[in-house]
This record gives sequence, C-alpha cells and structure tokens, in this order.
Amino acid sequence: MPRFKSIISRIVILHVVAVAIASVLISLALSWLLNYATDSIHNQAMKKQAAVLAEHLKMAPNGGLILSLTPDLQGLYSQPYGRYSYAVVDSENRVLFSSLNGHTALFPTNPASGNVEFFQGNHRGATVSGVSIKKTVGGQTVWIQAGEDLDNRDVLTDDIVAEFFRKVGWIVLPILLVLLITDIAIFRRALKPLRQASEIAEKIGPLRTDLRLPTTEIPREVTPLVLAVNQALDRLEEGFRVQRDFTADAAHELRTPLSILRTRIETLEDQRVSKTLLNDINSMARIISQLLDIAELDSFVVEPHEETDLRMVCAEVIEFLAPLALAQGKDVALTGTSNPVMVRGNAEMLNRAIRNLAENAIRHTPPGSAVEFIVEENGTVSILDDGPGISDEERDFIFQRFWRRDRNMTGSTGLGLPIVRRIVELHAATLTLSNRKPTGACFSIKFVPLAT
Amino acid sequence: MRLLIVEDNVELAGLLAKGLRAAGYETDVLSTVDDASTALRTTFYAALILDLGLPDGDGLTLLRQIRHRNIPIPVLILTARGGLQDRVHGLRSGADDYLVKPFALEELVARLEAQLRRPGHLLGGALRVANLEFDTGNRQASINGQPQLLSSRETAVLELLMRSKGRVVSKKQVEDHIFGNTNEIASNAIEVYVHRLRKQLADKGANVQVHTIRGVGYLLAESK
Repeated sequence: MPRFKSIISRIVILHVVAVAIASVLISLALSWLLNYATDSIHNQAMKKQAAVLAEHLKMAPNGGLILSLTPDLQGLYSQPYGRYSYAVVDSENRVLFSSLNGHTALFPTNPASGNVEFFQGNHRGATVSGVSIKKTVGGQTVWIQAGEDLDNRDVLTDDIVAEFFRKVGWIVLPILLVLLITDIAIFRRALKPLRQASEIAEKIGPLRTDLRLPTTEIPREVTPLVLAVNQALDRLEEGFRVQRDFTADAAHELRTPLSILRTRIETLEDQRVSKTLLNDINSMARIISQLLDIAELDSFVVEPHEETDLRMVCAEVIEFLAPLALAQGKDVALTGTSNPVMVRGNAEMLNRAIRNLAENAIRHTPPGSAVEFIVEENGTVSILDDGPGISDEERDFIFQRFWRRDRNMTGSTGLGLPIVRRIVELHAATLTLSNRKPTGACFSIKFVPLAT
Repeated sequence: MRLLIVEDNVELAGLLAKGLRAAGYETDVLSTVDDASTALRTTFYAALILDLGLPDGDGLTLLRQIRHRNIPIPVLILTARGGLQDRVHGLRSGADDYLVKPFALEELVARLEAQLRRPGHLLGGALRVANLEFDTGNRQASINGQPQLLSSRETAVLELLMRSKGRVVSKKQVEDHIFGNTNEIASNAIEVYVHRLRKQLADKGANVQVHTIRGVGYLLAESK
C-alpha cells in the first residue's frame, strides 16, 4: 500500500479505483439485465406463438390431428423468411408437423418434462432458441415447439444490446467522474479550516507563544486533536514564561548585591585595589544587563508602525560611548549622510544593536585608530574598525551565545552579537559582515527604510 | 545640602549615605513609601534618590504622589529594572533621571549635580575641570585662578561643554545654545568657535582637551 502524503491525494486515488471498478460492474450489471430482459421478452413471445399454434391444432375426424394455419401464420413460419419455426411432436417422439425442411423437431423432447420448457439448440448451423409446451388435444398429448433463429433476431432488440455499451454504457464513467470532482471539492472545502489552522500554527514560535489554533470551524472529528495541540501550546507557553522570568528575575536579583559590592568598594579607604575590582564589577554588570536584554528580546514584538531615525540612534550611541573610547585613546566618528534616515523599528532596540556592535569595534580597534559609523540613506549602518577582523572559521561561532575569541579578554561577554542578531531578525533587517584591507572588520545592518 | 534616600536594602542605603557624605551631602534614609511620603511633607530635601521596589509599594507610586502635590524636587530613580518599558515608564511618571544598578557612585553624584544645577535648583556657582574653572554666576572662565578673556560666543561654548563635562554635546545643542532659533548659521561656524576656544585653552595652559566627535559633537575632558 503506497503512503499518501495528503488526504486529498489518498481520496482521489482510491476514488479513481472505485470509479473504475464501479463503472465496469455497473456496465456488466446493466448488460446482464438487458440480456435478461430481451431473453425474457423472447421467451414470452415464443410461448405466445406456441399457444397460438396450439389453438390451431385440431382433432381430425379420423382421430388424428390437423394443423390448419392462417395464411399470415403460414407466412411467418415460411422457410424463405427463416426466422421463426415450429414443430409438433407426439409422445412417441414422432414429428407430426414441422415448418422445417427435413420435417424434424426443433428440440429433442423429453416425455417427463413439464408443461413449459425453454430450449436452445443448433439446427443446421443456426442457433435456435425457443419453447416447448405440453398440450393435450383430443386425448392426445403433444409438444408444440416454437423457435426463433437467434442469428436472425428481432432487429430492435439486437440493436439495443449491441449499441448499449457504445452509446449508453459510457455515460456511467462521466457521471462517476463528476461525482469524483464534486467529492474532491467538498473535501477541500471541509479541510479549509484545517489549512487555516496550519497557517496560524506556522507562526507559532518562541516569540509568539500566545497564538492558539481556532476551534470554531474545525470538523468535529479533528477537534480533539486541535484541542490537544492547544493544550500542549498552553503548557509550552508556561514553560517559556517560567524560563524567561527566571532569567529576568535572576538577573534582577543579582543587581542589588552587585550594587552593594560596588558602592562598598567605592567607599573603601584604600583606593589602590578598587580600580581593578570595579572593572570586574563592570564586566559582571554588563553580563547581567545583557542577559536581561536577551530575556526582554525573547518576548519583544516590534510594533508595525514604529519609525526611528537611524542616524540619530547612531549619534546617541556615539555620544554614550565616546567618553569610553576617548579614555582608551580611540576615536569615534559618524559619517555618511547628515540627514535623518527613517527606518522601521524600535529606537531602543536599534540603539542596543548598534551599541553592541560599537562596543565590540571599540574593544578590538587598536589605540590611536578610529571606529567609524557610516549611515546611508537606504537605511544601512556600517561600523568599521581597524582590529584583527573576523576569520572565516570564526564566522560560524561569533553569533553563538557566550562564544568569545579570547575568554580572558575583559569586557567581552559573548552575548553582544547574539543580541544584535536577534534584534536584526526582529526588524526584518539584514546583517552582513566583511573584513577590511589591510585589517579590520565591517558589520553592516540594513534596516527597512521608509519611503520619504 | 540634605538628600532623601528611599531604599529598602539597608546595606546599600547605608553605603550610599556614606558615599554621598564623602561628596558633601547630608542624607536621610527611609525604606518605605509611607515614611517617605510623611517625611517629604515636613522636611525640605534638595533631591530624592528613590528605589523602585519597596516593601509597601512601588517607588513610582511615591513619585506620582510627589508630582501630584507639586513638590519641585528632583527625583533620581535607582532600580534593578533596566528594561525598555521600565525606563520609559519611570521617566513618564515624572522622574528626572534613571540609574540602573549597579551604578558608579561617581555617576550618581554627577547626575545629582546635573539635576541640582538646573535653573531654579540649588547648586550654582563654579564648574571645574582640572585647572579650568567656570563661574556660572558672572560667566567668567579662569585657568589656575587667572581670569581669562574670551569672546561671548566662545564663553557660551565653554559653558555648555563644562556643564556636561565628560559627556558628548551634540553639534545641534551647541548651535541651539549659541544661535537660538535662527536658521542662518554658516555650516562651519561652530567648528570655528570650537577651534578658537581650543587654541585659547591650550595657549593659556588649561589642562583640558576639547575632543571633536566627527559627525556628532564635542566633548570636554581633562587631558591625560
């Protein structure tokens, strides 16, 4: 049994097989019925002819029998016409009368037979079908036989049988095909709510756990499945929520103790060690806030009509990071267009994405060099540094959470680029990464620009 | 100058009080919305440092009360909640600034001073970066105590940069500050003033540097 991927194709194939079998069976049945009907008509006609013959069989005054046929009956049984024939046989199997040339009986007669018997037999190369009735005329029992040459049969009946398949039988197939098409249409219609439910199901993911399959128009047979799927989604959503909340709660809970630690160090009398300790705390704080960013991104949905000036976001990021960069002897610059560049997206999220890229760039560019932000009118921002660039092997890893090239490098959490990628995905933007000559990396994000 | 700290974590509150005392501020520490609300009715504070998660309610409730009662006190929120919605919500509720834990004490003091120096608030007087001082009262800059003669435009640029020392001032902000709402500004006018100011400061031995952040603005910092 072949496996069908779709219910429709399964139905179509099985239906086609059923149609083929049904059309053969229906044709056979119809033709059998037709034959039966014509045979029955023929037998009735023969019986009637035999009865008519019997009426003309009289007792002769000498005790014998005489058959006096009217002229039209004589014509009917005449040899030239050749279609009908008769014979009268007595109980000793003697042929009393016969329309046949050799004065023979049409069929052999069995004295023990009943009143009416139907026969079919060959007579000089012709198939003769007919009846033999038992009759007692003037105390003498005779069998009156009437027959018809089947090779020379009633033209009308013949035509009906012969033409049946060609003209009538074929109508069965189109009717069944129409039925098939109707069934497919009905089925497709019945499955439509399922297709709609599938479309909704396609949108369900970690970001859209709130969606449920509709149950109102689903066929009753499938409703238990849909309900079970919805219940499974409820449990999944709860699981996601618990995990998300845990990350967020854990990060929140870490912030206050870290704050205490930080302030305690800042108010220490001995300031010699505090600087390194504060750097450690800053790294930890960065991880916590990035974990919170990730937790927030997992449930964040960009409003469809939100618009943001990409250039302004870049300026804000630079304003925020410039003191840090300058303190490390590195420069930052914003170039490209000086006009606002309106793109689709949430300003805070764009800020986080660009800030993460910028922080990486500042971290990796050597002192004395500059990190450049290029904003283009088409909604693209590129961030260029003079650092070591990204090797081909690293490309596959840099977007994985907690991946770091140098695990000892302070300030790097391995969470920045995953955040960037998530934000880029949420905004239907594209992120491209290339290396610069002679050295350095260039990250570009192309957001969806708004028609100006 | 007396500040009110509303923070339910006793340890953090104590450390903040200690740190702020070192920066020259007296502090009162309270840990509930109720106590803080009562204290604000009876005592005058220069600023309020407010934690959001409090045992008897949300710090934002207190903040709304304060704004409802028209108390013109600068409010600085301290919170472990740094999410986008939290920040927007906090600032919309009437906070003047928002610091996410863990924060640097230095940052807290700088933000506090920025609030207190705003017009109508308490901290006036001198701005100082290294050996450069600017008196906001008579708008006089001095290096190593020696008053300097600067043009009015240069003075305006310097004042703006010193008010936001260590932070970037956008070119637009400088333009607005100097020219107000005029449309006709030569494209390189600001650069010319900054260039002159930079030269003057260098010539007179000011230990500061005016950095140009290309495409964004300027930043004044102590030179290294």
